[in-house]
Amino acid sequence: MGQPGLNRRQLLTALGGLTVAGSLGFAALGTGADALASDARTRVRYWNLFSGGDGVNMIDMLDAFRAANPGVDVKDSTLRWGNPYYTKLAMAASGNRAPELAVLHLGRLAGFAPERQLDPFDTDLLAEYGVREQDFNPTLWQRSLIDGQLYALPLDIHPQLNFYRKDICAQAGLIGDDGNLITLTSPDDWFDALKEAKKVVKKGLQTIGLHAFDQNFAWWFFMSFYAQAGGTYYDEHLTDVTFDTGKATEILEFLRRHITDGYNIAGSPDAEHFMNGGAFVWEGGWSVPVYDAPKIPYGATPLPPLFGKPATQAESHAFVLPHQSDRGGAANEAAHRLAAYIVRHAVDWAKGGHIPAYTPTLTDPAYRKLTPQSEYASAMDHMALEPPAWFAGSSGTLAQRIGPVVVAANLGSTTPDAAARRMRQVLTQLLETSNPMGGGTA
Amino acid sequence: MSATAGIRRRWTPSQIALTTLGALVSAVMMAPILWTLFTSLKTETEAVAVPTHWLPEDWTLQAWRNIFETGNITNWFVNSVVVSVCVTFIVVLVSALAGYGFARTEFRGKKALLGLVMAGLMISPAVLGVPLFTTVQAMGMVDTYWGMILPQCAPAAMVYILYKFFQGIPKELEEAAFIDGAGRWRVFFTIVLPLSRPSLSAVGIFTFIASWNNFLWPYMVTNNPDLMTMPNGIATVMNSYGIQWAQLMAGGLMAGLPLVIVFIFFQRQIVAGVAHTGLAGQ
Amino acid sequence: MTTIDTTAPVVRPAATVGVTGVRARLGRSLQRGGWFVAPFLLLYALFVLTPIARGLWLSLTDANITGEGTSFVGLDNYTEALGDPLVWSSLGHSAYFTLLVVPCITVLAFLLAMLAHHIQHAKWLWRLCFFAPFLLPSTVVGNMWRWMFNPDTGLMDHVFHLESAWLTQKSTAMTAVVIATLWWTVGFSFLLYLAALQNIPPHLYEAAALDGANAWHRALHITLPMLRNVTGLVVALQILASLQVFDQVVVMYEFGPGPEESTRTLVQYTLEQGFTSYRVGYASAISILFFLIIAAVAVGRMWLLRKREEAVR
Repeated sequence: MGQPGLNRRQLLTALGGLTVAGSLGFAALGTGADALASDARTRVRYWNLFSGGDGVNMIDMLDAFRAANPGVDVKDSTLRWGNPYYTKLAMAASGNRAPELAVLHLGRLAGFAPERQLDPFDTDLLAEYGVREQDFNPTLWQRSLIDGQLYALPLDIHPQLNFYRKDICAQAGLIGDDGNLITLTSPDDWFDALKEAKKVVKKGLQTIGLHAFDQNFAWWFFMSFYAQAGGTYYDEHLTDVTFDTGKATEILEFLRRHITDGYNIAGSPDAEHFMNGGAFVWEGGWSVPVYDAPKIPYGATPLPPLFGKPATQAESHAFVLPHQSDRGGAANEAAHRLAAYIVRHAVDWAKGGHIPAYTPTLTDPAYRKLTPQSEYASAMDHMALEPPAWFAGSSGTLAQRIGPVVVAANLGSTTPDAAARRMRQVLTQLLETSNPMGGGTA
Repeated sequence: MSATAGIRRRWTPSQIALTTLGALVSAVMMAPILWTLFTSLKTETEAVAVPTHWLPEDWTLQAWRNIFETGNITNWFVNSVVVSVCVTFIVVLVSALAGYGFARTEFRGKKALLGLVMAGLMISPAVLGVPLFTTVQAMGMVDTYWGMILPQCAPAAMVYILYKFFQGIPKELEEAAFIDGAGRWRVFFTIVLPLSRPSLSAVGIFTFIASWNNFLWPYMVTNNPDLMTMPNGIATVMNSYGIQWAQLMAGGLMAGLPLVIVFIFFQRQIVAGVAHTGLAGQ
Repeated sequence: MTTIDTTAPVVRPAATVGVTGVRARLGRSLQRGGWFVAPFLLLYALFVLTPIARGLWLSLTDANITGEGTSFVGLDNYTEALGDPLVWSSLGHSAYFTLLVVPCITVLAFLLAMLAHHIQHAKWLWRLCFFAPFLLPSTVVGNMWRWMFNPDTGLMDHVFHLESAWLTQKSTAMTAVVIATLWWTVGFSFLLYLAALQNIPPHLYEAAALDGANAWHRALHITLPMLRNVTGLVVALQILASLQVFDQVVVMYEFGPGPEESTRTLVQYTLEQGFTSYRVGYASAISILFFLIIAAVAVGRMWLLRKREEAVR
């Protein structure tokens, strides 16, 4: 082995040694490169799960906040909605390494332990930043309280909607004098309308997209119509299962019929079909920016009240303060300030399709001009909600267990009545499982 | 290297057939990676255009620029390097010591301990993840680098491989040094370690690959996006603009390419390393 | 902790010697080599033995993720697990995955190794192409194949004109994961086979060639028998790894249970119970049961090896 080889080896050894030493040192510091690089006095770590059209709006609002508050360094992280997000939020909160501010679906609040996983908001501080109880829909505010303390600050309501193409529906004679979709009040009405629409929809496109394969959407649509029919899940003390398999069978048959009658081609990319000329698509309000982009003429209403009273599944995003044992000081104040800022600038947020929880926004002329947002704002008065149990909430255990059953019925791999019985079993089983965070069965 | 090295390489008909077959199979194996690469060089609209096509019509580095601008990727890259380097260093050091201890020294209860360590071959975060998490949680190491690093540093398999290897070193080499008055530790560091470079680098390479690519444990133990490693960040942190396939593919290549490039340069060592550590399980 | 472990199996009863005697003996045995294993044993005790012990204890309690308010519940968790249809179905999915992957990967790896071994030109190139996918992180592989199987815009659809979206059908959901996994991990087994092929002494082939055996005979009577050990190893490693499948599946199905819950694996279900439902006690019980299955596979392999060794003798 010659001299050059030896030198190269020495060089490599030295480099390797440096890398090892550097890595060990970095690991000992333990904060990560980004936190090291941040020189602002106050750093607010803010976790959210907005990755649709609303994510873009959130980024814009954060940028506006940063411009107005140069002393605060907002580090936002968007985690994948569903298991990763809630798992990580819960664990960070229990492990006392939580971010200063996070977003939570209100339905999930029951599954988070107050004091141990979440800290309450300081309402005086919020008032200082211009956010007061009277500015909120009372139902939402009530749902945000635990033992009288405010543990969540509602940001919006996001309902499931019936998006319709105005051009296609007009050809099918489904547009009323006001330029909007005519009112449909029974399953027969609805299927008649679909029949007309199908005649004018191009071959190869589906008449309606309803995410038949998606366990979350399937569950949300079921919830909506089941609530319209007056169905419930548990009694108010969460001790007995009150699930009505007869009503559920009816709803499941209704959903399935979209596929058997050929109005829906299961597995198609629903949004693409709608944009290319499908008549309807059922989607969350967050899809508004998606359909705004290609400039197609469309409207959106709450899911039509086909089974009785109006109801459409809706959830709410809310801000929470994940538990930090040393919460307080400038970072905590900045977290309040950021949450209040975004709640109050809800017109921008509403562009993402969400209905603002901050009621002064609803009368804001800028909001009233937004279409189709103003067309479905009424959905907030008819929310179909999951039962307030620890296993409920967006992509929670209940949705994960029961959603696949609805999908199976949608796809015909099980009969509607068998699926309804299975749903009842799931509800019973979950009720029997005691809340792991303590506090009885629910 | 092998028996064929001495023989003149000729293009016999069977060689031509085999090589063609090899090229075809390689094309199939490479296709997904190339597809990923080409996707990352398209614009986001072109990536999802129907009908789809192989080569970008409009070559652009937009996706790559975007992932660097948002900054997470570079953070995660640093974290991956820190974690993998620490894990590799500690594993090589600790398992070399332990392998040598088991192979060459005597102490009470050695046999029983060796058996206990062998039983550990069956444990992984996949099997006992939840209790491992609570253990690390109790130590206050959730969301720390050490919480990611240390649990990856007790691989019974590596100890076993080095134990086997040290058993195979002729004792005479060490005895000569002992007679000269050197102690156990000096013998270990000056005689044994230099002799075992191939095995140590095999263990090191294997550990580095495993650690760089490890997803499950870092996924369980880190929640803070600032501290995530590449595989974890890519799977759990989303883009605020929804699924952007070109960026997703660019990020994936950022996570995967370093090892592929290293592989091109150190192919022989890596092949030997993986085969060696793998075969040692026989 | 570790130092106590080191001297745990004391031969003479400890009661007959004083504390100082024990300490002296401990010192002597450590001098003779105990210190070499001490660092490893410390890590091993902290991160392998403690979790096992802790898992056993937790599985008998109703512990939650915060570790507060825990009470002893006996074998309740185990009874619940054995009667939980989701435990069985997710175990079934893991087993089904294993059943598909192991034979395919073994045969493919063998064929690729034979190919790479016998081509005389550009040997490095074949090794690179066959092995490179193994170097990618599992989550990258998951994302890549989610994209590959994407309806309309994915490569699989483009090339094979799939009749339906594979990732949304119960019947094809797991197959899609298997294809991704084969592509990703075949390189590892391929390398093992290749190394084993190169270790076959050439004189065996030369002798056979002198006896007039043709290529098929040589492959059948020399190569295959000589690869028996490595095949056993490949199969065992693949079974153990496949039963623990998690990463690529959850990435391909976005951390959900797959179409009609057809791809939820046992590891995934355990983590869902532990980290989504916060039921650490219950998750620990499933983990322990899972550990028993893995241990049974490992012990089974050792038993087979021993039996074969005896047969050879």
